[in-house]
This record gives sequence, C-alpha cells and structure tokens, in this order.
Amino acid sequence: MSRNSAILAAAVVLGLATPALADTIRVGVTISTTGPAASLGVPQRNSIALLPKEIAGQTITYTVLDDGADSTKAVANMRKLIEEEKADIIIGTSTTPASLAMINVAAETKVPMISLSASASIIQPMDATKRWVFKVPQNDNLMADAIAAHMAANGVKTVGFIGFNDAYGDGWAREFTRAAAEKNITIVANERFARADTSVTGQVLKLVAAKPDAVLIAGSGTPAALPQKTLHERAYAGKYYQTHGVANNDFLRVGGKDVEGTILPAGPILVAAQLPDSNPIKAKALEYVKAYEAANGAGSVATFGAHAYDAAILLTAAVPGALAKGKPGSAEFRAALRDAMEAQKNVVMTHGIANMTADDHNGFDSRARVMVTIEGGAWKLLP
Amino acid sequence: MTRFWPLACIILAALVPWLPGMPSFWVTLLNYTGIAAIVAIGLVVLTGIGGMTSFGQATLLGLGAYTTAIMSKYYDISPWLGLPAGLLVTAAGATLIGAVTVRLSGHYLALGTIAWSVGLYYTFANLDLVGRNDGISGIPPLEIAGYRLIDARMSFTVIWLGVLLAALATMNLLDSRAGRAIRALKGGAVAAASFGVDTARTRLLAFVYSAVLAGFAGWLYVHMQRSVNPTPFGFYQSIQYLLMAVIGGAAHIPGALLGAALVTLVNDRLQDILPKLFGARGNYESIVFGMLLIAVLQWAPDGLWPLVARFRPRRRAIQADAPRLAAQTMPERGSTLLEVVRLRRSFGGLVAVNDIDFTLKAGEILGLIGPNGAGKSTIFNLISGVDTPTGGIVRFRGGDLTGRPARHVAAQGIARTFQHVKLVATMSVIENVAIGAHLRGHASPLAGLLRLDRAEDARLYAEAARQLARVGLADAADRPATSLALGQQRIVEIARALCLDPVLLLLDEPAAGLRHNEKAELATLLRRLRDEGVTILLVEHDMEFVMGLVDRLVVMDFGTKLADGPPDVVRVDPRVIEAYLGSVE
Amino acid sequence: MDLSIFLILVQDGVVNGAIYALLALSLVLVFAVTRVILVAQGEFVAFGGLTYAALATGQTPGAIWLLGGLGLAAFAAGLWQERGRMRGGTLLRHALFTLALPAAIIAATLVLAPRRAGILVEVLLAVAIVTPMAPYLYRIAFQPLGNASVLTLLIAAVALHLALTGLGLVFFGPEGFRAPPFSDAMIIAGPLMIPGQAIWILGLTLALMLALYAFFEKTLTGKALRATAVNRLGARLVGIPTAQAGVIAFGLAGFIGALSGVLIVPLTTVYYDGGFMIGLRGFTAAIIGGLGSYPGAVLAALLVGVAESFSSFWASAFKEVIVFTAIIPVLLWRSLRRGHGEDEE
Repeated sequence: MSRNSAILAAAVVLGLATPALADTIRVGVTISTTGPAASLGVPQRNSIALLPKEIAGQTITYTVLDDGADSTKAVANMRKLIEEEKADIIIGTSTTPASLAMINVAAETKVPMISLSASASIIQPMDATKRWVFKVPQNDNLMADAIAAHMAANGVKTVGFIGFNDAYGDGWAREFTRAAAEKNITIVANERFARADTSVTGQVLKLVAAKPDAVLIAGSGTPAALPQKTLHERAYAGKYYQTHGVANNDFLRVGGKDVEGTILPAGPILVAAQLPDSNPIKAKALEYVKAYEAANGAGSVATFGAHAYDAAILLTAAVPGALAKGKPGSAEFRAALRDAMEAQKNVVMTHGIANMTADDHNGFDSRARVMVTIEGGAWKLLP
Repeated sequence: MTRFWPLACIILAALVPWLPGMPSFWVTLLNYTGIAAIVAIGLVVLTGIGGMTSFGQATLLGLGAYTTAIMSKYYDISPWLGLPAGLLVTAAGATLIGAVTVRLSGHYLALGTIAWSVGLYYTFANLDLVGRNDGISGIPPLEIAGYRLIDARMSFTVIWLGVLLAALATMNLLDSRAGRAIRALKGGAVAAASFGVDTARTRLLAFVYSAVLAGFAGWLYVHMQRSVNPTPFGFYQSIQYLLMAVIGGAAHIPGALLGAALVTLVNDRLQDILPKLFGARGNYESIVFGMLLIAVLQWAPDGLWPLVARFRPRRRAIQADAPRLAAQTMPERGSTLLEVVRLRRSFGGLVAVNDIDFTLKAGEILGLIGPNGAGKSTIFNLISGVDTPTGGIVRFRGGDLTGRPARHVAAQGIARTFQHVKLVATMSVIENVAIGAHLRGHASPLAGLLRLDRAEDARLYAEAARQLARVGLADAADRPATSLALGQQRIVEIARALCLDPVLLLLDEPAAGLRHNEKAELATLLRRLRDEGVTILLVEHDMEFVMGLVDRLVVMDFGTKLADGPPDVVRVDPRVIEAYLGSVE
Repeated sequence: MDLSIFLILVQDGVVNGAIYALLALSLVLVFAVTRVILVAQGEFVAFGGLTYAALATGQTPGAIWLLGGLGLAAFAAGLWQERGRMRGGTLLRHALFTLALPAAIIAATLVLAPRRAGILVEVLLAVAIVTPMAPYLYRIAFQPLGNASVLTLLIAAVALHLALTGLGLVFFGPEGFRAPPFSDAMIIAGPLMIPGQAIWILGLTLALMLALYAFFEKTLTGKALRATAVNRLGARLVGIPTAQAGVIAFGLAGFIGALSGVLIVPLTTVYYDGGFMIGLRGFTAAIIGGLGSYPGAVLAALLVGVAESFSSFWASAFKEVIVFTAIIPVLLWRSLRRGHGEDEE
C-alpha cells in the first residue's frame, strides 16, 4: 500500500460515525477527567456509571467526553454531544471558565445544561442565555457566607487569604472579600499559588508576617494541603479554614496531622452518616456513598462526584413532566425539560434540597452546607 | 497550475457544509480546523520557513481575541471593526515583543517565546479588564446585514474564506521580494545578509506576519466561541499549533491545513473510538494520540505533506521584455577600488589574519592564494562584513567599510560567493538567483502580499534569468537549487552575485568541483566580466586556473602576506615556493 | 523584608533550584548526545516521586506494570527496527535488557513492597522502577528518528510527554501524594529552619554532580558520550554507536528524574502531571546555560529557583510573569554574547 492510499484509508476508518438510537433520552456529559481539574472530573465520571438507566419508562443513555478543563474543548464537546449524539440535556462541566463558555451553546441550541462547577456567575444574573443553564453544586457565595459567619462567631477579625491562581481561587477571593466585608472582617493578605507549585514559602512568609487571626486556603483537592503544611512549618498558630474544594479523603491522606482542626463548609454528604436521621438529605447521600464505594472501593468517595449524581436527581424529577409535552429528541421535549427543571421544588439531593425558581437555577439554601472540621483524620460535623 | 490547485481545493471545500447529509458536527470540526490552520500557516512562515520556533502563537491569538471581545462586548462596537483593531493590536504587540525576541538565536528564541507567552497568559488571568480567569462571555457573533452568523455552516463560510485569504496572502508574500528574503533565512542568514537583506528586520517581518495571522484566527475564534478566557491562549495550546504545523510538514502551506485537519479530526475520532475499545473508565486519548504522533513522525520525519506532493518548483514564466533594472556606473578602470590596510583578525590567541595589506584596482582580477588555513576565507568575511576585523582598515571607493554589516557592504556594490555553497534548498535555481537582486527592488512586504509588486518582480526575474543565461545555466532555472552538481551550484552562486550588479565580485573557490571544459567556460566568463568593468577578487586552489586568469596574485600563509605581484613574478618567488609548493610536496 | 525573610527565601530558592539544576543537567546531557529536548523529563520526576510515595505506604506501585509494558514495547521495537539483523548475542542482550531486567524489578517489588523494607530499599526500588523506562522510551520513540531535525525531535518529545501524562493519570490517579522524609531532623540556624530533607536534596545533588563529572572525565563510556555530543559522525566512525550513546543518555535522564522525584516527594505534594512545570524550570535553566554548559545550567537553575522564591513573596499572583519576564533580558544578553558569527543549524 502506498503512503498516499494509507492516508486515505486512515481517513475512512476514522470517519466511521456512530449510529443513532431511537426513542431514548440521551444525556451528554462533558467533564474534566484529565488535566488540572481531573480530581473533580474523575469521581464525576465514576458517578455517571451509577446513574439511572431508565426514567419514567424511558431508556436513558449517557455519553461521557473529556474536556481537560479547556474551554474550547468543552464547547466543542457540547456541540458534538448535541449535533452528533442528539443529546437532550448536557451535564457539565467541572470548571467555571469552561462552563461559562458553554452557556451560549445551550441557549442557541435550546438544549438545557446542568453545570457541575462552583461559581454563581454561571447562573447569575439570570438572563435569556442563562435561562437554559442549571447548576447543582452550591454557589460559592453560599459557602463564602458560611465561612465568614463562622469566623465572625469565633472572634476572627483579620484573615489571610491564599488561593489557586486560577478561576477557583479567583472566584473565592472575590466572594470571600464580599462576605468578609459584610461581617467586618479585614483581609490582611491576599496571595495566590499554582496547583502544581512545589513550594509556597514566599506566600506563607507574607501570610505569617501579616499576623491574621485565621487563614483561608482556597484550593481544590490535595494541592490545598501544601500551604497549610508550610504554615505549620512556620509555626502559624491561628485558625485554618479551607473550602469545600478539599472535601475528599485524599486531602486527609496528604494533609495528615497538619490539617487537624481545619474548619470548612461542605455539602452535607461529606458527613452524611453524622447527620440526624430527621434530615432528608441523609438517606439520599448515604445511598450515593454506598453505590459509589461499592463500585470504586471503600473510602474512594468524593463530594465532587455527587454533583453528577445530583444532576441526575434533578433530571429524574423533571423528566416525567417533560415527557407529557414532547418526545425525547424533539425541541419541545428539551424546552419542556427546561421548564420542568425550573419548576422543581423541594428536590432532595445528596448535597442539599433544591427549590428552583425562574431566577434561581441552583435552588439551594443553607441546608446545602454544613460546617465541618477534621478530627482524628476524619471529617466531623460541627454543630 | 500547480500552485492554484490548493486554492481549488479550498473553494470546493467551501461547498462542503451545504452537501446534503453532511453531519453538522463535522462542519463544526472543520471550523475549528480552519481556525487552527490559519495559525499553523503563520507558523509555516515563522518556523518552517523562517527557522524560528515559536511556543507562543496561542498567546498572540489571545491578543486579537481579547481586543475584539472587549470592543464588541463592552463598547458595542461591531465585530467587523474588531477585526482591524484586533489585527492592529496583535501587530503592535508582536512588533514590541518581536523586537527583542527575534534578536535571540536558536534555542534562546524558543525559550524567549515561552517566556513572554507564559507571562502574558498569567497577565490575562489576573487582569480585571479581560475578566481574569473567568474571561468574558456573551460576546456577539458576526452579523451580515442583520443576520447573525451563529449556525456552524455560516461560520464555516467566513472561516474558510479566512483560510483562503490567509493561504493566498502567504503564497503571495513568499513569492515576493520580502518573501524571498524570509525564505533565504533558512539557507543561512549570512548569505541573505550578503545580498543586502536586513536579516533582523526580515525575522521581525516573519514574526509579525505570523502574529497577525494568529490575531486573525483569534478574531474568528472569539466570534464563533462567543466567550473568551485565558485557557485557549496557554503554552499547551501553542504547542498544539506547532505540532499541527510539524506533523503536516512545517515548510508547506498545504501542510498546515493537513496538520490542522489531522490533529483536530484524530482527536475527535479518538473520543469516539477509544471508549468502545477500552470501556468508558479511564482516559486513553492523550496516550493514544501521543503514540500515534510519534509513529507518524517516525514514518514521515518532515511531516506528511512532502509525502503527498514531492517538492517541485513551479515553472516560472519570464517576461524577457520587462524593462531592465537600473545599473551601476562602473568606476574608471585602473582607479583604486579597494584598499586593505593592516587588516587583522584574531580568535583568542590565534591570529588568522595578520596585518595584511593589498589594494585592488578597478577592472582587474586579483587572485588570493595560499595553503589551507592561510586565512583567505577570513579575509573574504572581513571585507564582506560577515566578520568584524580586530584591527586595520577596509576602504572601498574611498569610503570606510571597516566593520560595516554585510548588508551595508552589499549596498556598496560588493557581491560574493561562498566556499561552502549557501543556496536555499527549498527554492528553485532562479529564485535563489533572484535573491541577489534584492537591493535592486523596493517593493514592500505589503505590496507583495497584495500582488502590487508584479511589474517590479517581473523585472527582477528577468534580470535573474539574464544572469543565469550569462553563466550558461538557463536550462536549470526551474530545478530545485540543490539538485544541481556542487560545481554548478557554485556557478549559480556567481549568477546570484551578478544579480546584485556588482562593482566588485568576491569569488570563494569558484572552480572547485568543475570539469575541465566548465573551468574554461568560467574563465571566459570572468574575463568578459572584467572587460565589462567588473573587478574580481578570487580565492582559488586550482593553480592552472588561477595562473591563466588573474592579473595579479596575493600569496598568504598562516595569516601573513608572502608575496604580491603578477603571476609570473610570484610563481618564481622563493618564499612562495618554500611555503606553498614546498609544504605541499 | 528583613534579613530573616531574605535568608528563608534564599534557602527555599536554593533547595528548589537544586532540583531544577539536576533536571537541567539531564536536559543538557540528553540534548548534547541525541539532540532531543526531553520535554518529558518532568514525567520521570513525577513517576519517581509517586512510586516512592506508594512504596513508603506499603503499597505496590502501579508503575511496575508500566515498566513491564514499556520493556515489552522496547523489545518489540528493537526487533522491528533491526529486522533480521539482530543475531544471537545481540538478541540475548536485548532480551535481557528489555525483558529480564523489568521482570526482575517487578518481582523484587512484589516481594519487597508489602514487607516495608525500609527507606533505603524503597528509595532504591523506586529509582530502579522508573530509571529503565527512559531508555526503553528512547528505543521506542527516538532511535528511529536519529536523523530527524531538532524541531521534529522536539515535537516527538512533546508527543511522548502527552502520552506519559496520560499514562500517569491511569497509573497514579488525579490526586497528589507525599512521602515521609528520609529523616525528621530539623536544623535550626538563626531564623532558618532547614529540614533534613533539604540537606538530603542539596547533598545528593552535589554528589550526583560530582559523580557525573567523574563519569564524563574518567570513564570510557563517559568520554564516548562526550565524543558523541561533540561530533556524532566522528564518534560513530571511531566505533561509538549513536544509538547506544542515546540509550545511556536516556538512562541517566531517567535516573536523574526518578531521583529528583524521590527527593522532593517528602517536601511537597507530587501529582501525576506535576513534573512538567518542574521540568520547564530545568529547561529554562538549561537553555540559559546555553544547552551545552553544565556549570552554566546549574548556576541558572539556582537563579531561577531564587527568583521564583522571591517573586512568590513579592507578588504571588504574578510570580510566573515576574520570573519569565526576568528571563528575557538574560536570554538577550546570552544570545548577543554568543554573537552572530556563523549560521545556526
């Protein structure tokens, strides 16, 4: 075979398209299972396998693509899922900038999407574009308010902030600055570090020199442990706060004894077993934890994965109503699905209880976050 | 015709999205391909042809993208005005960055591009004006007469029109006077400079041109994506563009298209195929993509395009009747043309040229001979401005030339050939020769881009054809330069030198590698040139050739002058026999 | 900024810089011998660190299967590259190197890993698991590209980096790991608290540099490598096969990378993809040093480390901006000093 014809042959092989299925609800998922946000995306992908295969008698299929936290790729994936897989709804993606890039596509193709990322800016302020966008993780401002309130109640007057030098850290810096101002807390140092930094000595020296009552570290997953460990080395004696981005067991493993006593807000699922039985979230959360650990091993659960599960809970709640208005695959169905999701009240999820309104496409209230501390190498619910 | 068939392909491609049954996502993919191809075409000029490896193209894309994003989102200015603004900002930014960067050589340059690209990336990410890490979303799409180009098919037309324009403009540029200068960079910056090419400016031109294409791609990207944040402008994305250019064949415009298409499509197909092969758990795309890439590079180290189409220079139609270029007035025969006074060059402790004196009269042929390592080529380099003397004076037509840069020396009417032939392998014989006439043309790069330079270019090529005919290589005009025998390549270098319309011709071993009758023809040519008033200084090893040709000889050994005089006098000089012939036998 | 902060920052920068220096040395070495800019150098750091971290917690590192797979692939690649030309002795040596060696390392790991054989054994094991990967990769990816341009080799190295990062995610997962330090000692000197691990890093870096020096100056193999670096054709003419030189250079690169990873994982968290940024610092230093000068690269690496440390103190959000902008004048100075003499490659 000559090289030219080999190239042609390769093109033909690569060109094989996927056959379309009939009469099913197709869910398209784009998440960051590689790249800098892989620690969020991997448990999310693992959770997709646990989602219902049938809702209200309709078969549900899931197509999962990886966007590597790249917004160009996320948008391309979304278009692929809509145009090639005929997705009725999109779940994703794991990071805020990429989610923000996707919302245009949702609006112009009139396919609803459920974002799995942190920032409230994805769904607020509500406008004609964001009408099509829902979001299941707690808004960062809800979490920031919780930290500020806890600080104020515990006599913290000054805070040193250190966050990721990316959208996550930036969003937190913005939200926490606002929340702290409301509680008359002064931010005396505002530092950044990169996820893969091998040393944060410079930033920590500056934090320590500012002598804050508490330090807030805004990072996600294991990288958030480095500043805390370095602060410990420098014998910083104030309080440590982290964000819900660290809520997985890997953080405890890497942090070890240096993260004991850290306070953070988190979704109730993190301490599901410690919730009172009267809390409706408890059963839902334990159901997820059990299913996840059965599939992926004990102790493997991370709260980030549960957001994907919550997206499916929202979807499950909305599908029966939407089916009355149109067949899956039709524009009517997608529009009805959007309307139905917006109309959902008191949906119990693993992370909280959602009451959607036309203006609030997250719907969580303070029941969606608990304050947690680390004690004896485990998460402990604070009263 | 050969050069128009890529265009035909592109025009055909423009119809693709409207084919019935064409999956709309394929159109979307082709849109991404088109945007990447524009950046990759820029890299063909910069890296593949200009020889400057850039790890920063994605960041330049960001300059164009952010400019139009800010204008159209925050100031409600039409995206169509964002285009010139974006190009202007990118060009200005690239000029600023490039002014420093292109002065770096080799790997310093590559690292330089990484440095400013990383710097700009984090500046974007921390700048409130451009929305920090979250960026700007809700940017308006392009509009034509109130119709918003949201549909992928519509974007396709605009994007591939853009690709077409970029490809055409680049072909025009590369085919112009400025483009030949860019292409000459690869054959050796020294040779280019010796024909008056301002290499620093030419490098900057290639850099800014590639940046403008990137900025253009950025504009298309923003109005298709309608949101912007720093992630598409990072180091990783820059590597992707470079990878596309290399895999396609970094020195070829169609290669850029091929590379962009292949990388985009393969990445997309892998997303579909791999989960079917390995299941949905785990991500194997980057693993398989990396392995495929290595396999392709092992199969085609110069990229894929050279496999599809072998390099064959197009036949150039020569307008023999084009008006002749203005010619120099030759100095009066017998007047002093070149004076070399106590010329000295030392490398550390080694003195390569030791206080050499000689003069050259207009209209004579002077031979510079001596054993290997006598310092002859060093003298050539010192006179022609390739190297700077440690001491002494070089005076030409009464003016001081000492230590002047090569392109200044060339502008005085001094042309040279090289001991180690420096022709551009990717250009035809006549294109190489036309580089010699660089200083006799004046067309700007922009004129070349817009094809406003055709009349002048025809005159340059007519001159090149005339000089090729003069040296007896008219038949070889359209052959790849390095396909000739080495001896003939030396003759091509002479034709190139003649294109400068030289007053003084410096020939470094012109007869090496020639057959006996070819040598005789060369001697006849050189005599005729002398009769026309051209002065010739030549270095040569072939004694028979030299003795029969030159009017005078300067003999050197170990950097010092041994003798100076007519051949028959020098021939019997005992010092010469001792040092020269004695050492050989 | 007072003196104590100044000293702490210098200490931090020097310790980081020492690692960059090791990587810079390795990059210079690999480039000189094979003309490959080893973009994937950082992956060996990550793999080394993560493998040691797994061993230090009594787990069997997944990397052994990667080693086995790469050995197998290298075996096949060798057979393919020298179709029919590989005779008895060579074939046996090839099989020993690509099949028996990884098999032995895998066996040793399976036996030793659950037994917690002590820090020294675990360190050696981690380095032994990761080091041979590099020459296998040379065999698979770069040897067939022997005559390609530097640009093509660079892109091949980028491709290797992409593939290795993907493999890293598969074998180590997305989260970071840390390992216990070699010693818990902490030396207090005025304002400075120097952890024992930092001493280990500096000491081993220095020792490795001296060992490399001795290797290049005193041993025949080292001299052969230097000869290849100066003149590939000439080296081949006097009987030093380029391919073998490449295998050795990559072996050293794998060793240096793995060792660096083992050294830093007790001090910082190591991620599957974290090696790249560390490698980039090493690359920066190597180039400032001219991709040819070993002492130059080391000096540059220390400067990069210190510059990073100080800029993270002054304006942490703009750390990269400051460090990389500061590089440009240095590059200009280096570039102009080298002069415009003859043409580049």
